[in-house]
Amino acid sequence: MMNGHNSESDHTKILEDEELQRLLVPDVCHLPLTPPSAVDSNFVCYFAPDFIKPGHDQYVYRHANGLCVIGLAPMHVALQDKGGVTAVDFNVGKFDRSGIKVTGKRKRNAQHFEHNTALCKVCTNDNSYIVRCCVKGSLLEVNDRLIKQPKLLNTSANREGYIAIIMPKPADWLKIKASLIGPEDYKNLRALS
Amino acid sequence: MLNEVESAEVSNGDEEAQMISVSEEPPITAGDEVIQALREGVRLLPPQAVKDLLSIGVCVQCIFRLFGVHGHNYSCFSILQSNLYAVLGELIYLDKQILDNTSPKEYSIRHSSKDSEIEPPICSICLGILQFFYYDDKEQPVRKNCPHDLAASISEVVKTEGHQIDNFSFEVSIPPIIVENEQAVRFYMESKYGSEPWFHNTFRPECISVKDALKLYVVTPLAMSLDIQSSPSSFHVRLTYSHAKASSRTNFSEGIQDSKRRKAGEKMCSDTKKSLHGLLEDESSECCKLPLEKVSQPCSLSITCYRKPIYIGGRYLKYSRNVSQTRWIIDDERMGEASVEEIIGGTIRPMCRGDNYKFHAAGREDIDVRMLGSGRPFLVEVQNARIVPSEVAINDIEEKINNCKKVLLSSMVRVKSLKVVGTHGWALMREGEMEKQKQYAAIVWISRPLEDEDLQNICALKEMKISQKTPIRVLHRRSPLEREKIIHWMKIERLAESSQYFLLHLCTQAGTYIKEFVHGDLGRTYPNIGSILGCMAEILQLDVTDVKMDGFNTD
Repeated sequence: MMNGHNSESDHTKILEDEELQRLLVPDVCHLPLTPPSAVDSNFVCYFAPDFIKPGHDQYVYRHANGLCVIGLAPMHVALQDKGGVTAVDFNVGKFDRSGIKVTGKRKRNAQHFEHNTALCKVCTNDNSYIVRCCVKGSLLEVNDRLIKQPKLLNTSANREGYIAIIMPKPADWLKIKASLIGPEDYKNLRALS
Repeated sequence: MLNEVESAEVSNGDEEAQMISVSEEPPITAGDEVIQALREGVRLLPPQAVKDLLSIGVCVQCIFRLFGVHGHNYSCFSILQSNLYAVLGELIYLDKQILDNTSPKEYSIRHSSKDSEIEPPICSICLGILQFFYYDDKEQPVRKNCPHDLAASISEVVKTEGHQIDNFSFEVSIPPIIVENEQAVRFYMESKYGSEPWFHNTFRPECISVKDALKLYVVTPLAMSLDIQSSPSSFHVRLTYSHAKASSRTNFSEGIQDSKRRKAGEKMCSDTKKSLHGLLEDESSECCKLPLEKVSQPCSLSITCYRKPIYIGGRYLKYSRNVSQTRWIIDDERMGEASVEEIIGGTIRPMCRGDNYKFHAAGREDIDVRMLGSGRPFLVEVQNARIVPSEVAINDIEEKINNCKKVLLSSMVRVKSLKVVGTHGWALMREGEMEKQKQYAAIVWISRPLEDEDLQNICALKEMKISQKTPIRVLHRRSPLEREKIIHWMKIERLAESSQYFLLHLCTQAGTYIKEFVHGDLGRTYPNIGSILGCMAEILQLDVTDVKMDGFNTD
């Protein structure tokens, strides 16, 4: 037999739980059929068609905090080759990009690259293609998962298959932004649906 | 109400008995008795040495200190300085030998009690501190005639600040050169009178310091005037004396000041004592040479009082997705509608009549994440609170916060279990942060319909380790690291009317980024919900449902 005090605090707890449940459960009819992806919600997407070389379409996803995610756009030539991408090699230029370890809040030991510096080499059955930075800035990270799982570029080049993350200075970003185009313009350019 | 007696009104030592009766409080010891006791103590002093000290500018209070004459001096607080000089005067000028050699000008010091225009010079040891002569904060010279008057001035400052107090701690800070001055005088006395028979009994090496003497003079009348006790307290009354012109005469004394600034724990005390002793014995040492620099100005006195910070703690809930935890302003623009910090701290501070507040919470949530369930523990630190809120006042504060900032009849922020906590509350919060578990509920969408198998698979994962690279959204300001976190348990709650949306309940280690665990952050958090269910996953909404912190503000 519970004493008066116990049942009162239990009762309060039950009420609180009910209130919590009410707050948590959404009204499903207010939810969108297909929500925007995390990329669409948090980044502004830009494209660099024919970057340096024809057919080398790349994307730049820019976050509100200034960081840029670099990757292969849907119509990049490498993704059109038969068999798709078979290997990714970060050992281009003067040293292996996958070997850099950037440390610290200020990221002082990051490498500073130009917009046309090579990031990696993407190989298909017949060809290999150089992927470049697109944006001048500090290289924070390369997606080294691509070394073991190059097929990620075939399945999700726009997400898990990103190539690298670069931190440009505000002035350098403005310079390159002028030559980039938005998703709608890219679709029209490449006659995508 | 006690009257402040100005020096101009009292000029005659004979009137001292009447002057004391002006006070409404009965004196601890009648003035007459104290004067008599002083006379008896003074009678034993060597007249020539006392005259010598007066001539090098030492005040009567310091002379009493150096010779160990107390005679209840520190128990009657309305004895005028002029009375003290009169007592000394009797000693000196009753000595026939001295009288014969005294010039008329010197003789008039005896009569200073009758002639208030001749003020004694500023003491060459205490720089006027024990003479209650100082520059106030408006740089006006102030002379108080007795400890009671100085206490009255301090009392006024305290009353103006308006603190609600039961007791007080008293602190005094004096210029370091005073210690040097005293050493120089001691050295002089030792070298001149060291061989006299009275020297070692009467002029002892240890005596009440200037600081302690001032405290003895002031603390009791101050306590009486404020009608509170002097005892260890969170409320501090502080006298800070500074002297612009009296510079340290040697590098040595700067060394003392530097060593005082060093961290506690270094054995400085014994070193400085040794060095001082060594200096005394070094006759050619510069700093102990007399005459001491003539002091033309007294110290500046700053009277301050403050209460040490008080802490008010509780748990808060945040119902809005547009309220940040702390004030968030970028380029002069506020992010979000309001902040938890300002709603809570901004209500508590004025109710305590404090100067400032600081908001501390056990962890934080994003602006678009609600804080529900038991709430998140927090502490508000209030600086210099004039009032410590009572239980009733605390309830008022709680109500005020809960009713503040309502949007469509629902509060943005609510507090629970609000109460004044001691400083241990602080330690409890810090200790809990890193180890404690947090519980969440997220609305998740997946790119294919949910199967029963999914519910079972998710439920089966206990204490699952995940690896999170620093999320891109904070990578600009945090170190690029890979952090291992633990998902303690998960549970899927189906939503009626939807096959691809569901509620994900999960309990994780503190410091886990939940949003990234759901959408994967481009694969940089692994495993993630998408990889576990073999599809794409997105998070629409996140709520914190529990911050597990035992023993902190639970009802």
